[in-house]
Amino acid sequence: MWGFYARPCKNEDGTMDLMNWECGIPGREGTPWEGGVYRLTLAFPEEYPSKPPKCKFTPPLFHPNVYPSGTVCLSIINEEQDWKPAITMKQASILLGIQDLLNDPNPHSPAQSEAYTLFRKDMDEYERRVRIQARENIPR
Amino acid sequence: MRPAPRLDLLFGPALMRRVSTARVLMVGAGGIGCELLKNLVMSGFTRIDVIDLDTIDLSNLNRQFLFQKRHIKQSKAHVARDSALRFHPAAEIQSHHANIKDERFDVDWFRGFDLVTNALDNLGKIDRLTDVCSVDARRHVNRMCLAANVPLIESGTAGYLGQATVIQQGSTECFECQPKPTPKTFPICTIRSTPTAPIHCIVWAKSYLFTQLFDRPEDDEAAAISSEKSDTAELESLRRETEALARIREAAGSASYPRDVFTKVFRDDIVRLASVEEMWQSRAAPVALDFNTLQQGAEVAEAVAAATNAPRLEQRVWSTAECFRTFVSRQVRCFRIASRLGERISTLRKEDADASIAFDKDDADALDFVTAASNLRAQIFGIEQKSRFDVKAMAGSIIPAIATTNAIIAGVIVMQAMRVLERRLDECKTIYLAHGGRRDRLFYSEQLSAPNPTCYVCRNVYVTLPADTRRATLRDLVHHILAPSINEGGLGLGTDVSLMESGRMLYDADWDDNLDRTLESLGLTNGKMLTVAPEDDAILGAGRAVIVIIAQR
Repeated sequence: MWGFYARPCKNEDGTMDLMNWECGIPGREGTPWEGGVYRLTLAFPEEYPSKPPKCKFTPPLFHPNVYPSGTVCLSIINEEQDWKPAITMKQASILLGIQDLLNDPNPHSPAQSEAYTLFRKDMDEYERRVRIQARENIPR
Repeated sequence: MRPAPRLDLLFGPALMRRVSTARVLMVGAGGIGCELLKNLVMSGFTRIDVIDLDTIDLSNLNRQFLFQKRHIKQSKAHVARDSALRFHPAAEIQSHHANIKDERFDVDWFRGFDLVTNALDNLGKIDRLTDVCSVDARRHVNRMCLAANVPLIESGTAGYLGQATVIQQGSTECFECQPKPTPKTFPICTIRSTPTAPIHCIVWAKSYLFTQLFDRPEDDEAAAISSEKSDTAELESLRRETEALARIREAAGSASYPRDVFTKVFRDDIVRLASVEEMWQSRAAPVALDFNTLQQGAEVAEAVAAATNAPRLEQRVWSTAECFRTFVSRQVRCFRIASRLGERISTLRKEDADASIAFDKDDADALDFVTAASNLRAQIFGIEQKSRFDVKAMAGSIIPAIATTNAIIAGVIVMQAMRVLERRLDECKTIYLAHGGRRDRLFYSEQLSAPNPTCYVCRNVYVTLPADTRRATLRDLVHHILAPSINEGGLGLGTDVSLMESGRMLYDADWDDNLDRTLESLGLTNGKMLTVAPEDDAILGAGRAVIVIIAQR
């Protein structure tokens, strides 16, 4: 679990906002994502845990399954697919699932054309872009 | 009209005395509420409080019979009271045109009732004006009744189905003991890229396209950009996309606006999507629409329509030409005039740059827009198209309200109320109205269940704390109320606790920044419920918490 973090956002009134969390997901060692820690926000809906939190990379990530807005497209956090109320923050399975997704994109649900097209057509350029992104996301 | 004179023969004089003195709170004066208020008054109840935040709408009048056309736009609670008083002038009915969640309706106020009845809307129906889900109100009333230890009769109807049950703190399941089905949502991928059903196109037209063009987009891309991040290639492309969209948004009302929107969403976006070949190996690729071709077709169709005077029926599926014409402009004869919504939003923006139009199924322009846009998209993806009538029902998540169902359930509520007032809780059951089940009967009943020991609402202990919230600090609360043992006059929870209130954390043992702030400055004002969760499971039992209800003194 090295390199992960998750903390509630601070409200303007000095309290912690338990519905919105700021997280960091480290890229796996031995992959082009290594070295970077990617900033992700989790927004928990009123209906949590019946409904999954909304997971969004800020800034948006170059990745085939991340929408231009940063929103992650992944079945385990998709209410219609594999979301189960038992997938909780405590077990960090959301964050681990997203870490897995980084180097193992799902070609069946593209979410942005740029990363998706390079991933399909020009793997060298794709990996080069991922490495640049990893360098830009080295934690200070 | 008076209460039936010999109800005492049916219920006995003792119960009738109890009925005539019991104070009843009725939450909601709509479909079930009108029936229920009439039933209560006619059954001899005389001390009734009615609360509803809504006003009367034309569409209520087919079933909410305490209201008439002349009452439209007036308070439901007030008019219901006035109408009920006409058939029982001696009743003491108080009406409140207010939100039940308002802080003046605190736990003490709830304690003043012998019985609370919920007569609220369908689960999951969102109130158009207040954006409040009736589930929210139900949750709130449930918690207040648990805290005040007042019996609650909970009910609901949806079409031909209905139910009514009794909730009593410590004896029965509460409203939140079992998870509630949540309104269905669709994955973003299905809506944006791979729709397969009419509802996907309708959600796209309503929640994505309409929102992006006329309302405040939820997924605020601009906000994401302004966050303090370094400049990356991704950000650059994101900004370009945002700008492209913003340009179209801003151009509302201009001559090229309808064409620009059309070309972006029904041609350019589709061409790009279709070029991703891998996505379309196992399904048909979308086919982009061409503005010029459709325009010619629409002109021909219009000429034909004008010649034959073909009526445009609500329940008939529009042709592509009709969808196109509606999307581009509601002005049938002139394509150059921008669409009505575009004109409306540009007029509004002259007054206020941030003006927006929210989707409302009763707004004819908005419904036309969504019907046309969703059917054009349906055609692109080879999906069945829907009539304006169907789109209205689907986009508005309309569940038909049946007057008879409401009337039957309101009757059941009164029978439950009689048993509760006689303290025959053991004889109360959950009553279901379920027409068309396997057996040939209308009602089903089920024993009330014991509280769910893991319910995160009713397993908790509720405590009222009178405090001067302007002077008392969080430290006073933690060190003088929560931590000391029970013998010392405290709650015996220790200092290793987390304090939370509606999604906010105010304190935990490792984070005491707020200890010297007053309760008021932390938003802990009258009626607020503060959850105190000890870290040590041994103190209360795993997962249990104390809910401290603040009472301003």
